Amino acid sequence: MSTPYYVPETAVPLPPPDADVISTACDYCIVACGYKVYRWPVAGGKVGGPRAAENAFGEDFPVAPLGAWVAPNQHNIVLHNGEPHHVVIIPDKDTEFVNYSGNSSIRGGAIAQKVYNPQTPTRDRLKSPMVRMFGVLMPVTWDFALDIAAEVGNYVLEKHGTNAYGVKTFSYGYMENTYAITKYALRHVRTANFTFHDTPSDVTSTPGFRDAGFDNFGPSYDDWADAETLLMCGTDPYESKTILFTDFIMPAIQNGQKAIFLLPRRTGGVAYAEKNGGLLLDIQPGTDLPVVLAIARVIVENGWEDAEWIRKWVNNKWESSSGFGQGTRNTPWQWRTTWGKFQTKGFEDWKAWLLKQDYARPEVAAEMAQIDVRKIHTAAEWMAKPRADGTRPKTSIMIEKGFYWSNNTGNTQAISSLGIVCGAGGRPGQVIGRAGGHQRGGLRGGGYPRNKSPEKLPGRRRRAMDTDRYLMSGHTRLAHVIGTTWVQAMCGSQSLQAKFDELTTRNPHQVMSFEKQDIVDTLKRRVDSGGMVVWNQDIYLVDPIGARYADIVFPASGWGEDTFTRANGERRLRLYPKFYDAPGDARPDWWIIARLARKMGFDGFDWRNSNDVLEEGARHSRGSRKDFNMVLVAARREGKTLHEKFAEFGTNGIQGPVLMDADGNLVETKRLHDVNRVLPAEGPRGANVFNKKLTHFNSQTGKCNIQKAPWDLFASYWEWLKPREGEIWISSGRINERWQSGYDDRRRPYIVQRWPENWIELHPTVAAARGIESGDYVQVYSDRIPVQKDTIVGVEGSDFDFAALLRNGHIELTRASITAVAIVTPAVKENLGYMDFLHTAQPANALAGRVVDWISGNYNYKMGVGKVRKMGESPYKTQFRSMSFARRDIA
Amino acid sequence: MRHLEPRIRAAINGENGEAEKAGTRRCLMNRRQFLLTGGIATAVVMVGVPGLAAAQTPAAVATYPRKLIARLSDLRVDEPFDFEYPDEGEYAESILVKLGREAGGGIGPDNDVVAFNYTCTHQGGPLQGTYQAADKALGPCPLHLTTFDLTRHGIFISGQAYQSLPQVLLELEGDEIYAVGMFGLIYGRFDNLQG
Repeated sequence: MSTPYYVPETAVPLPPPDADVISTACDYCIVACGYKVYRWPVAGGKVGGPRAAENAFGEDFPVAPLGAWVAPNQHNIVLHNGEPHHVVIIPDKDTEFVNYSGNSSIRGGAIAQKVYNPQTPTRDRLKSPMVRMFGVLMPVTWDFALDIAAEVGNYVLEKHGTNAYGVKTFSYGYMENTYAITKYALRHVRTANFTFHDTPSDVTSTPGFRDAGFDNFGPSYDDWADAETLLMCGTDPYESKTILFTDFIMPAIQNGQKAIFLLPRRTGGVAYAEKNGGLLLDIQPGTDLPVVLAIARVIVENGWEDAEWIRKWVNNKWESSSGFGQGTRNTPWQWRTTWGKFQTKGFEDWKAWLLKQDYARPEVAAEMAQIDVRKIHTAAEWMAKPRADGTRPKTSIMIEKGFYWSNNTGNTQAISSLGIVCGAGGRPGQVIGRAGGHQRGGLRGGGYPRNKSPEKLPGRRRRAMDTDRYLMSGHTRLAHVIGTTWVQAMCGSQSLQAKFDELTTRNPHQVMSFEKQDIVDTLKRRVDSGGMVVWNQDIYLVDPIGARYADIVFPASGWGEDTFTRANGERRLRLYPKFYDAPGDARPDWWIIARLARKMGFDGFDWRNSNDVLEEGARHSRGSRKDFNMVLVAARREGKTLHEKFAEFGTNGIQGPVLMDADGNLVETKRLHDVNRVLPAEGPRGANVFNKKLTHFNSQTGKCNIQKAPWDLFASYWEWLKPREGEIWISSGRINERWQSGYDDRRRPYIVQRWPENWIELHPTVAAARGIESGDYVQVYSDRIPVQKDTIVGVEGSDFDFAALLRNGHIELTRASITAVAIVTPAVKENLGYMDFLHTAQPANALAGRVVDWISGNYNYKMGVGKVRKMGESPYKTQFRSMSFARRDIA
Repeated sequence: MRHLEPRIRAAINGENGEAEKAGTRRCLMNRRQFLLTGGIATAVVMVGVPGLAAAQTPAAVATYPRKLIARLSDLRVDEPFDFEYPDEGEYAESILVKLGREAGGGIGPDNDVVAFNYTCTHQGGPLQGTYQAADKALGPCPLHLTTFDLTRHGIFISGQAYQSLPQVLLELEGDEIYAVGMFGLIYGRFDNLQG
């Protein structure tokens, strides 16, 4: 008989009753389920037994469903204080919130495979700093690498200016690290050449939410479950934030919640919802806006809007214009709310505008989106039609990247107005927000120096720098890259990569010496010649940013290797304690940054440990959605460190913003914009901050702005982009079983067996026309990938419209080609090819246009087109050892 | 487990006849199975079951039993046959099925006869009654919707399972199908042969 390539274990050691138990949370998706780490020494050969008294769970084996079972993928061996220890890491069976049933996804479920163990594929973790000499990254000491980085860094700042020092960093790799990184980059280096892992510019991800006054993460998880109608746009939570679906939305659907998905693809959660009476608005990419507005139109034409809510909570024109910082000042976003393209005089004015838009007529919208028009009417009824007794359905709206990265400004404006007319926002079961991608671990240690950005829209509106375009123009002389792939994560990635090649490896000034001063001088010469040097901090060597371009590599430590703090998608703050030794000489990012900053002569980087960093950063959280400053106040009062105080909350954590009442008790925040919440009339005591969004919305008046969402801001791009002869849409997104770039999943034989390389879902009609079958290797290619190439000063209102950019020669058409394994399935829209969004070797982003949403500055990653042709058969087509071509939407 | 959906709880615990409706928990031994196992001396390994006195717990054995489970000539395409392996303890229920399509680890002239454990390797949900003939799959699991590809060694298709569905290794001797071992740990157990 044949043997599977990946042979799973058939036994697992159980933790003995005296094993150490450490509460933590998952490192991966936004939900951040609670976990317990059971740790005990290998020495002595002690393991637990199957009787309750013999193991740390206090459970008899075999355990019941949902019990404390240990899959072999949940066991590993680590070094702890230099000694080998077993670790078993399973979802916390005692936690009261988030994964309250002791559940987990496949990602977090196998998180024990993440930890470093040289007997597993994690053996290639970065273990020592490296400097490239003679073309090879050579291990060196921390001082050797940091001395070079500090001297070249200061040289770049002095000779070429602060904007020549680019910092591209993760936004969420724990608050201790993001605080240190932003303090360094924004308060001390003071560069505008700064952004996060998922955007070329440091701008809001959801401009329409910002304008309406909605926080991205206002809702609590119970709100999603309490909704009677739930519209989910651009995401299937089952696929990407599993527990939010399985433990909140799925039980709600079983109890009658009407689930509506707005997606071009049917996945497991969608199939479940449909089987239970739900609805899929199966649009073609980029047509969300007309469909959303058509639903709103049906609602207002029937008078189903929440009139009482609108009367109380929607701004009129005077109100939306009011307040300091509004208007066309040099502000990051307020100008939009007073610009005639978006601003309305209030609900009636918005309604009049809506009724005049042809694309918002259901028949027209349905035609554009290629959906059954009856679905628009059904969605409108479910969301807003009052019942016979006059009561309204409790409706909530969830959005995520498939939606807001298709038409960033337009879609988020449209959905905000739909939310407002349905009465969503700030009441139990009636909320609007993002579902979330990664966890929320940002803590700002400095303000973004917007005035130093060269980006200027018409009307004196300055916007954060587009760091990709700045690099393409040759202005970035030092790229400091922290925990992100950069190249493949951005759009039009292949031409971006060509520029990196030109600036680094193809520059004549390459280090051909082992003398520190020679290395420094060579790198300075490269910088002066118009080239670029690259520092890369990461846990693995990433190709190409680390493997090919980095001159210096700093090995970082991560989850479980130092003690960190972070929040989840309902603002729940938890401690992630250190439970084992980082490999080799790897250090946490805050430590690396602090050492570099001190060598560069900056003050204020003398932290002894990660708790010191967080205690310093706590006051910078005040007023934010995860305000935890009062936790520090409580800790100091009790003579504890901030980390010690957070540890007391365990996997339950504490939901921010955290306030302190008059008796000194910490008070959590269930939801933001909580219009029913009553705060103390006398106002905030002591160090408390009562941000307006606790009980109101994020606008000057605390009420919502209902804004227009004109299709014409996006129409010229969509019309130009949409598939021509032989082309299909090429879009991408998450697949349940892989996290981000797959940096951990690539090192899990179990997941590699399922997803050995990138793939493309193709509709049977598209596949048949090209002779493609499941398991065939295909090429996905295009010769018209638009790239916006110049930084221009906008004068006329339409200067940044795609048609104007094209006409004026600011768009270059580039070529790209990637390969993938075909999966033929009717689960995708007929004219769509769908891929994993970030396989580093076969990046789907190569096919996405590098043209930012011209209002917001974000990429519309989901908008790509290309052709598909068969190359031949992949080994997976006929072997049984790897992949599966069965449909993923079996219900 | 505060908010666990009552119907799921019932499906697991067998309350109100839900388990029977869902085809979960103990499958009834059918006549053919009775005949097959009745006369065969299999190396039965009892396992510790919660609630049993320690004295009744037998010693572990180190190797898998060789167990006759069916005759090839009795199998029809897409008609699952239930059996228990490697013992009659908890979570031993398994599916034997002729897929009508070549499969990894498949036996018979068409290499299409495979066997798998019935318990979801995520959180122990029952997969009895979920065979999908069109897709040669088991699932979706009633707990959290995982599906498994029976043509590819039980790899998950979509979902949350922590490992592939344990595959029962089969041998064919004439017309007789024997279960001889397993790939993968059965849900709920810490060792396939010790419970």
